[in-house]
Amino acid sequence: MSKSFVAYRCAQLCALILLALTSGCVSEQQKISATRDVNAVFRVEYERVLAEDGTHTYEVPRDEAFQALRVALSGLGMRLADQSPDLGFLSVYAPAPDPLTRDEWLRAAQADLPKFRGILEQHLGLAAWFVSFEPQGLDVVINATTIQVRGGTAVSLTMRMREVAPPKSGYPRREYAPPTAVRMGLRKIWGALERELPPASGRRS
Amino acid sequence: MQTDEGYPDALPRGYHLHWYLLERVLGQGGFGITYLARDTNLDQRVAIKEYLPIDVATRRNDATVRARTEAHDERYHWGLERFIREARTLARFDHPNIVRVLSVFEFNNTAYMVMRFEEGSNLATVLEQRGTLPEGELLRILLPILDGLELVHNAGFIHRDIKPDNIHVRADGSPVLLDFGSARQPVAHSPSMTILVAPGYAPFEQYYSSGESQGPWSDIYGLGATCYRAICGAPPMDAIARSKGVLGSARDVLAPATAVGAGRYSPRLLKAIDHALEFAERDRPQSIAEWRRELLGEGQQAVPAPVAPPAAAARGEPPPPPASGGGWPVFRTVLAAAVALVVVAVLLRFYPLSGGGSGPPAETAPDPAAQLKERLAKLEQQLAEERQRQAEALAQQQAEERQRALEAEAARKREAEQKKLAEERQRKLAQQAEAERKRQAEQKKLAEERQRKLAQKAEAERKRQAEQNKLAEERQRKLAQQAEAERKRAEQQARQQAVLSAKPATAPPSSAELLVKVDRDYTAGNYAEALAALKPLAERGNADAQLRLGKSYAEGHGVVHDDARAAIWYRKAALQGNAEAQLRLGELYASGHGVPHNDFEAYVWFSAAVRGGNAAAKAQQGRVAKSLQPVEVEQAGKLVVNLPLPGTAR
Repeated sequence: MSKSFVAYRCAQLCALILLALTSGCVSEQQKISATRDVNAVFRVEYERVLAEDGTHTYEVPRDEAFQALRVALSGLGMRLADQSPDLGFLSVYAPAPDPLTRDEWLRAAQADLPKFRGILEQHLGLAAWFVSFEPQGLDVVINATTIQVRGGTAVSLTMRMREVAPPKSGYPRREYAPPTAVRMGLRKIWGALERELPPASGRRS
Repeated sequence: MQTDEGYPDALPRGYHLHWYLLERVLGQGGFGITYLARDTNLDQRVAIKEYLPIDVATRRNDATVRARTEAHDERYHWGLERFIREARTLARFDHPNIVRVLSVFEFNNTAYMVMRFEEGSNLATVLEQRGTLPEGELLRILLPILDGLELVHNAGFIHRDIKPDNIHVRADGSPVLLDFGSARQPVAHSPSMTILVAPGYAPFEQYYSSGESQGPWSDIYGLGATCYRAICGAPPMDAIARSKGVLGSARDVLAPATAVGAGRYSPRLLKAIDHALEFAERDRPQSIAEWRRELLGEGQQAVPAPVAPPAAAARGEPPPPPASGGGWPVFRTVLAAAVALVVVAVLLRFYPLSGGGSGPPAETAPDPAAQLKERLAKLEQQLAEERQRQAEALAQQQAEERQRALEAEAARKREAEQKKLAEERQRKLAQQAEAERKRQAEQKKLAEERQRKLAQKAEAERKRQAEQNKLAEERQRKLAQQAEAERKRAEQQARQQAVLSAKPATAPPSSAELLVKVDRDYTAGNYAEALAALKPLAERGNADAQLRLGKSYAEGHGVVHDDARAAIWYRKAALQGNAEAQLRLGELYASGHGVPHNDFEAYVWFSAAVRGGNAAAKAQQGRVAKSLQPVEVEQAGKLVVNLPLPGTAR
């Protein structure tokens, strides 16, 4: 029996063991615990990102900032769910990965997947390495507020994932988006908003 | 020209589309906006649907509709062409229970479908006011709709958006099916289409873009869900939630109609509703005709009784064998004849027939012995042939008997197997019946639990109402006091004026007086008078009047029940800091009535109401906060701080 044949057989055996480990050994409770942990970690990251970059203040009246924000979000493919100009509130949504492009989503996934799988591995073992971020069946919902402050308008954004179709993977859904995706999404929205505002409306913070 | 609030993409009121003058927006869906308009040529009201798929298109400042980006252009024009083609097809249906399409035309780079405007009440409103409908009334609405829908199905269309909101009940009680805007959705084949469904009324297959699995059974689900709503007071749970039950990640907790409507409706109707609400499309009735038969119980064709096989065949017994020895008598006869011939031959050998003595036979006479030998040889040959035939017949008979025995054995085994299978089936049926019994018991328990919760909710609502009534009475009392004080002051002023000018003076009634009068008119049921006084006051910006007007729309007092209009007036009052208006607006956002469901905005208004001193809003605020992120709660808090407090309107 040649050495290469033995190596081939060993590889086959390993693949079978891996398959058995990944397909049949993950219980519903394990999946729920794993998702809960991912949500908790992503929530901390999400709140940190929002604390750093979730609010910008511009030297423009509130109505002007509101209109610019509406146009900017629409230009990024987001659809209007509800608006209250008197209140300064705007809610938009779009199927994930909007407002990111597919390439941007893949880049965000590449950045966050190692951490994501690291958390999952504690619950799921090797099966964690077969899980990926799925944009299918999810909407990205963004709540935006514009509040008049001294000398300008403070614009704040929050972001969440909303399930619109059951997952094909069988894993429970996460509420919080991957942190890198949140960071990239915010950067993109601020960029679009600043293009819509008059050139002289400097950002103060 | 003024745009309808809540519909930022709509054309403004008073806008002219050829000879149609737009009056107001009736509603907006994912694929367009429907307006109430007046046909100025014929001087009659019509409903006009504008193609505006929000996924791919947007309104420009010049009122034209354009694709959002160049990438969306192809999809937009493809959908536009479908919209026009389908309007032309629908125009062919002249059925009393289907909304009549009068015309279609292109304008503003989009298309418009003109339909007959149907006066009457919406079924959703009727159900909201009455809770449930008795069986006779439900069938009087349902059966004509089935006739109309069957016509649509036969033409190859499906409605895809059947729900109480899309069924209108005319003043004479006849129903009409509205809004074919989703029928064969114009961008249904687009890979990234938005799935627009009415939760609770849409079957699971509609949550996916593919139209392959959709058909008449999808509309039958919507009808079944509408009936379910009409018999139990709430729509069935959303198909996605049901799917979780089917996938096993949760229990499918849809209580069957046969459980929730037992005792109040006929078992036939309840069974038909449950059949229409089957989760898998193949398990539902496949056509309107089939479902109608279930509803009415007519045309139930008796299944022809199977023709019973002959008793023996049924038992698998072989046919009776022929009488034994069928070939033997012949054989024995031939054998006896042969023996007789041998005996005759021997006798002839020793006692010849001619010559009478023992001398030699005459030369010319044939030799009898030789003749006999020859005959004997022939007989032996015949005998051998006969034996051969008999042996063959015997072998064939034995083979046939063996075959019969084998067949009998096979039949016996088959019978045993069938018996075993029947037993197995019986066992499985018993298990299924047991499982079903347990499931029904669980569902009954769930239904009871729900009933209990509903009762608790009703009690809470009653208490809230009582509290609000008390507050309203208190407010009314204060207003009356204010009015009285004002009246006295006015009288005093009038007296002073009279003294000064010797002329009687009449001051116009104050806002407080008007509101007291309005409340008095409401209490007396004089809604028209109350509204006549209320509307100008509300339009002038009086928050209390705006709140009352909002309540009139919400409760349908003196005006048609309209939550969207109620929300508009509540919002005006809420923005002035009226705490009760803030609470009611928050409730509309939390329930999604009249405004899109939005927990964030509900939380903002509940928080504002709490800040304004409305204690009833506190519990609602806590409940909605559970569905928000902590940062969203913080974000909402900042908005609330900027809202005015009661009496400090901007």
